[in-house]
Amino acid sequence: MIAIDIHKILYTAHGSMLLSIQLDIEKGQLVTLYGVSGSGKTSILRMLAGLMHVDKGRISVHDKTWLNTNEKVHRSPQQRKVGYVFQDYALFPNMTVRKNLEFALEKGQDRSIIEELINIVELEMLQDRKPEMLSGGQQQRVALARALVRKPELLLLDEPLSALDVNMRSKLQDYIIKVHHQYELTTILVSHDISEIIKMSDKVYCLEGGKIVKQGDPISIFTNNQVSGKFQFTGEIITIKKEDVVYVVTILIGQNVVKVIAQESEILDLKTGDTVIVASKAFNPILLKVEG
Amino acid sequence: MIDWNPIILTAKLALVTTIILLIISIPLAYWLATSKSKIKPVIETLVSMPLVLPPTVLGFYLLMAFSPGNAFGGWLQEYFGIRLIFSFSGLVIGSIIYSLPFMVNPIQSGLSGVPKSLYEASYVLGKSKVETLFNVLLPNIKPSLLTGIVLAFAHTVGEFGVVLMIGGNIPEKTKVVSIAIYDEVEALNYSHANTYSLILFGITFVVLLAVYVINGGYLKKFWK
Amino acid sequence: MNIFSGHISHIQVSGSLSLIAIAINENVTLKTIVVETPETVGYLKKGNAIRILFKETEVMIAKNEISFQTSIQNILGGTIYSIEKGIIVSKVSIETSIGAVVSVISTEALESLILKLHQKVVVMIKSNEIMIAE
Repeated sequence: MIAIDIHKILYTAHGSMLLSIQLDIEKGQLVTLYGVSGSGKTSILRMLAGLMHVDKGRISVHDKTWLNTNEKVHRSPQQRKVGYVFQDYALFPNMTVRKNLEFALEKGQDRSIIEELINIVELEMLQDRKPEMLSGGQQQRVALARALVRKPELLLLDEPLSALDVNMRSKLQDYIIKVHHQYELTTILVSHDISEIIKMSDKVYCLEGGKIVKQGDPISIFTNNQVSGKFQFTGEIITIKKEDVVYVVTILIGQNVVKVIAQESEILDLKTGDTVIVASKAFNPILLKVEG
Repeated sequence: MIDWNPIILTAKLALVTTIILLIISIPLAYWLATSKSKIKPVIETLVSMPLVLPPTVLGFYLLMAFSPGNAFGGWLQEYFGIRLIFSFSGLVIGSIIYSLPFMVNPIQSGLSGVPKSLYEASYVLGKSKVETLFNVLLPNIKPSLLTGIVLAFAHTVGEFGVVLMIGGNIPEKTKVVSIAIYDEVEALNYSHANTYSLILFGITFVVLLAVYVINGGYLKKFWK
Repeated sequence: MNIFSGHISHIQVSGSLSLIAIAINENVTLKTIVVETPETVGYLKKGNAIRILFKETEVMIAKNEISFQTSIQNILGGTIYSIEKGIIVSKVSIETSIGAVVSVISTEALESLILKLHQKVVVMIKSNEIMIAE
C-alpha cells in the first residue's frame, strides 16, 4: 500500500496553484493520473521520486516512510527505489543500451537481471548500440528496462508513449502491462489518452487545478453511466463530412476506423481531433465469424 | 642560437597550470551550473573578471599579496617557508587565476546544456552526485572539456602582464617566452624575437586548429 | 439525436435484460429494452428522472390513414413542420405532444408517401432502439 498526502504551491505561467493530493494505491495496481497539461500530474511524479520539494505532507511506501515533513523525514531520490521513465526517455548518450542498463545496477546486485530485461523488451539485437541510433519506440523500451533494473517499489511513467505512433504505442502498452505483472510492480502512469487509460489501468484519478476531482475504474469514469448503450468505444474524430442532410463522422477507435451518421445538432460542438464515445445498443451490431 | 629555456619553461607552466585548473574547474563549474545560491552571481563575476581586467592589475594585487612584507606573504614565508613572488609556484598561481574563466566557462556552459532529466535519471537510479558527474555528465560534454583545456593552455602560453609582475624576469625560473620576446626586442635582437614569436604563433595556431577540427566533428568521419 | 426527459414508471427485469417504461408526460409513455438491470446501474429505479435517446434514422413515419397493426410499441401522433430534402436521405421534423421528433428517411420513401408540410403523421420507434441516460 502506498499512501500519499502531499501539498505544494506550484508557480506556473498562469500564477500560483495549490497542489493538494491524497491517494492510497494498493500494491500491484496500475493507476493513471489523468488531466490537462498544467493540472499537476508530472509534479506529483516528481515529488514521489524525490526530485521536487514538497511543502507539507507524507509519502509512505509499503510501510516505509519516504517523506514526512512533520518529522523531517526526507529520503533522497537515491534512497527511494523508484523506477522513473521520463517523457524524453533520458537515456545516457555516452553509453550503449546494455551499459545504460548496467549503470543502474546496485553494488553487488545479481547481473542476470540485465539479460532478463533485455530479453523481455526484446533488445538483444540492439544492446550494443548507442541511444542515438535507436528509434523512439526502441529508446522507450530501453528506458523502461533501465527503470526496472533496481526492482523498484514504485514505477512512475510520465506520458511515456505520447511521442509514438499508434501502432508502436499499442505494442509498448503491452510491454508495460507485461512487466507490471511479471515484476508485481505498483505503477503510476501519467496519460491523457483515454483509450490507453482504459486498456492499461486499474484505477484512474482525474486531476484539475492540482486536485483530484474524480476517481474510479476507467470504464465508469470515461464511459458508462453516461448512456446505456452496451456497444461502446472511445475514439478520436478524424473527419466530419456533410452528405445530403446528414453528416458522416469518421472516428479512429484503437487501430480501427469507423463511420457514424450524425445530425448537425450532434456535431455542433465537435471538431477533428476531439475524443468521443461511440455508443450503440447491444441489439444493433451483428457478429460474423472470421474464418481462420 | 636562441635560448631554449624560456620555451621549456612556458610549456611546463602551461601544462602544470592546465592540469591544476582542470581539477579546480570541474567542481567549480558544476556548482555554478547547478546551484541556485544567491552568491552565485558574485562568484561568476569573480571567475570572469580576468577576462576584462588588465593583466597588470591582477599581477599587481598578486604581487602585493605574495610579497613577504605583507600579511599573507609574510605568513606563508614564516610558517611554510614558501615565497611566491619571483618563483615558479607564484607564476603557476597567477596563471591559474588569470586563465580560470577560460577553463570554467566552457565546462559550465557544457554542463548547463545537459538535459536536467539526465541528472535526475541518474539520481533515481541510485547514483550519487559524484558518480553522476563522472559517469554521466563529463562523458557527455567532452567537446566542452577539450575546449576548456586547450583555451586555458593556449592562454597561459600567451600571458605576459601577470607573469612579468609577479615573476620578474629570472632566467630559467620565471622568464617565459612572452617575456623573452620583450627582452630581445629591447636589446634590438629582432631575429631572436622573431623566432620566439613564430614559435608562439605556430603553437597557438596548431592548438586552436585542433579544437575546431575535433569539436567540428571532422575527425569522427575518419575514425569510422 | 432525439433526446427527451421523463420518469421511470415501470421496470420489468429478466436476467440481464430490463423492459423500462418511461413517462414523458401524462399521456405518453415510451418503452425500451436495455441490457442493464437495477443492480448494474443505480439510476434504474421507479420514479427516477431519466433521459431517453434515439437516433433520427431509427424513427419511422407512417401516414395517419394506416390501419394495419405493427409490433412497434412506441407510437406518437404529430404534425410535420419542416422537411429538408436530400438526394438519398431527407430529414423530416414532426411536432408531437412530447416535443419535436426528427426523423431521417430515404428521399424515395418521402416521395412515395407524398409527405408535405403541416401534414398529420404518426412516428414510430422500436423499443430496442432507445437508449437511456441519467
